[in-house]
Amino acid sequence: MRPEWSQPALHLRKPETKLALRIQHRACDAIRAELTHMGFVEFLAPIVGPVTDPGIRGAKQGVIDYYGREYRVMSSGILYKQLALNAFDKIFFNAPNLRMEPPETATTGRHLAEFYQIDLEMARATYDDAMDVAERITVAATNAVAKEFGAQLQEQGRILKPLRQPFPRLTHAQCVERLHAAGREQDPRAEIRWPEEEFLSAQSDTAFFIKDYPKGSRGFYDQEDPKRPGILKDFDLILPEGFGEVVSGAEREYQYERIIARMRETGENPAKYGWYVDMLKQGIPPSSGFGIGVERLTRFLTGLDAVWKARPWPKVPGFPCP
Amino acid sequence: MPVDAAGLEPWEAESRRRAKDGLLALFPLRDVSEYGHRTFGQRTERAARSGLSWDQIALAPPLFTPKRFERMLELGREPYFSDVDLSTKVGGFASPVPFYLSAMGGTSAASHGGFALATTAAQRGIPLVLGENISTVRGYEKRTQADHPSFKERAKAYLKALPEKLGGLVIQQSVEDADSELWNHVYSDPDFEPLLATGRLGFELKCGQGAKPGLGGLTLVGAADAKRLKTKFLVQEHDIGHSHRMRHSAPGTYTEEILRNQVRLMRNNYPRARIWIKLPPTRDVDAAAATCWDAGADAVTVDGAEGGTGLAPSAFLDHMGLPLLECLFLLGRPDAKHCLHVSGGFHEGARIVKALCLGARAVGLGRAALAAHDADEDHGLGKFFDVLDLELRMLVSGLGKYRVPDLAAEDLFLPRGTVPTF
Repeated sequence: MRPEWSQPALHLRKPETKLALRIQHRACDAIRAELTHMGFVEFLAPIVGPVTDPGIRGAKQGVIDYYGREYRVMSSGILYKQLALNAFDKIFFNAPNLRMEPPETATTGRHLAEFYQIDLEMARATYDDAMDVAERITVAATNAVAKEFGAQLQEQGRILKPLRQPFPRLTHAQCVERLHAAGREQDPRAEIRWPEEEFLSAQSDTAFFIKDYPKGSRGFYDQEDPKRPGILKDFDLILPEGFGEVVSGAEREYQYERIIARMRETGENPAKYGWYVDMLKQGIPPSSGFGIGVERLTRFLTGLDAVWKARPWPKVPGFPCP
Repeated sequence: MPVDAAGLEPWEAESRRRAKDGLLALFPLRDVSEYGHRTFGQRTERAARSGLSWDQIALAPPLFTPKRFERMLELGREPYFSDVDLSTKVGGFASPVPFYLSAMGGTSAASHGGFALATTAAQRGIPLVLGENISTVRGYEKRTQADHPSFKERAKAYLKALPEKLGGLVIQQSVEDADSELWNHVYSDPDFEPLLATGRLGFELKCGQGAKPGLGGLTLVGAADAKRLKTKFLVQEHDIGHSHRMRHSAPGTYTEEILRNQVRLMRNNYPRARIWIKLPPTRDVDAAAATCWDAGADAVTVDGAEGGTGLAPSAFLDHMGLPLLECLFLLGRPDAKHCLHVSGGFHEGARIVKALCLGARAVGLGRAALAAHDADEDHGLGKFFDVLDLELRMLVSGLGKYRVPDLAAEDLFLPRGTVPTF
């Protein structure tokens, strides 16, 4: 039998899907209102460009022929967010992204090849400022959904509790220590592995941040702390109950020389980033920002077991889907 | 001063050739048409600082052989050379022999033989490295040139013939391949899942090569390809003959920090792949190798100046780069947890055994394998492997040893005073 995710018409007629899509709409609404209230200006996101976010683990980018040149479908709008700061100090977009993740991620319940994220950037802000905003919009979305859909969710067995604040801010090193203390394997110099992240998430009764990842685990744009070489000023927001990462963000590198060196450290050729490098030469402001995964947030709010259920037409990694 | 057939001294003959042939005179080619059908390597052997060359090192067998005694206890009879176990871990892969097939240059010869080389290596469970730029120049899935197999055709030929639990496929990525995201492409391609699932896929960061360290990849391309490749590579405008142009890859810029973080990023982004780093024969090869191992590389390959190539300027072939022996002396015997591979000029068992005694875990074969295939396209490489297999068993057992990791510097006779600390 064909899986449900390969039959979107059937999937869309299910009450569970309809509720998830309504909740997604409400959550996006709440986040948009909160960001607008904080002075953010919404941009309509770019779709393709000569380069896109390279900081994606083992996932392939989509390439199109653009008037005879290779262009990339956005895997995230990070480079354009920095560009957008030329107009305003606080910007966001709710953007579709394409990341052709390895087929092994098809069954993690948390990966999609095509997904949306609300992506924001703030000029002259620290990563602590960005974590404040991430906490605020996550709480706003959770409270709005709990208020409007709490009873319906409860009928389906999902009890959406308010998230206790403030969200703890643990360092990557502290998390590695916790994992080792629990007898679990984790390379102190790499990303927290998915099963380990799920373990930490399941143990927590509220959302929490993991910050200060080691260099070598992220894209070139996450700023290396000048006072702590080898440590990045970046963070992930981890949802509780085993739902795991929903936000990834950082304070950005913004100086030309630093970014060129960091590009090489991530195996990138600066020539590929022509327009971006030209912009850096002219100077860009320091900034911080993040992206919050819309389907992952929906999965948490609704208690769904897989992120594809929060997409009307899911693209499960490794499979040709409608 | 020697003179050539025309009675000219070498400096004058060379000066006249440069004046006549123009940029073609950079290379050991008399005519562009020779390109692609031959491979090149250094033309005069360079001695290590100690004055040593490979041939001055003798294999030093003992009469008292405790390891042979151990083997006799295991077998319950006197051991023969056929009782040598040549199997070893090559860069994280199980290999029946302490050698693997290195990436071949981007020549027509290597490209045409690609299928056969991959298939023969796979049948025997020998690890194979697929070189940089194959995907970018010949196409990832579909062929960009009808008579040259694409990257995936070669990879699939290897995968199809590979026995269970042996071998491994290593994919190189150059600066330009990185622009095309080759590793991400492979890592997310379902056709490579069988290799990933069994831990038999590796990625090799090429920091340079023995024959032309610091120069980057170099091929000659016809006018049509020059136009197509111009957007991705440096293509010289100058016609060096028969409308051919030089196509260059960037060598890549490294500092200790850049190298360390590239290795860490590979580890982080591709947790299911083995991570190999290929180093050119530079004066800081010891520091570079230490950086790679410290950052988590599964294997470091040092390609000595003896390494072969599809094409390199004569000045590089004759003068640039340290001889492999000097690299081995600089490196010293690596810690047992660190895997060192060496390549450059290996074609027979004695030199392979010497390199293993000096601390290498395995040896990469390049031009020798290509020559063997060229000598007999159907069976040449297989026979070549058979000879090497038996020769290695004979040499190792002659040293009173029966396992590759037991080989050590004690098995070599180095003229007194030539090697200070090994």
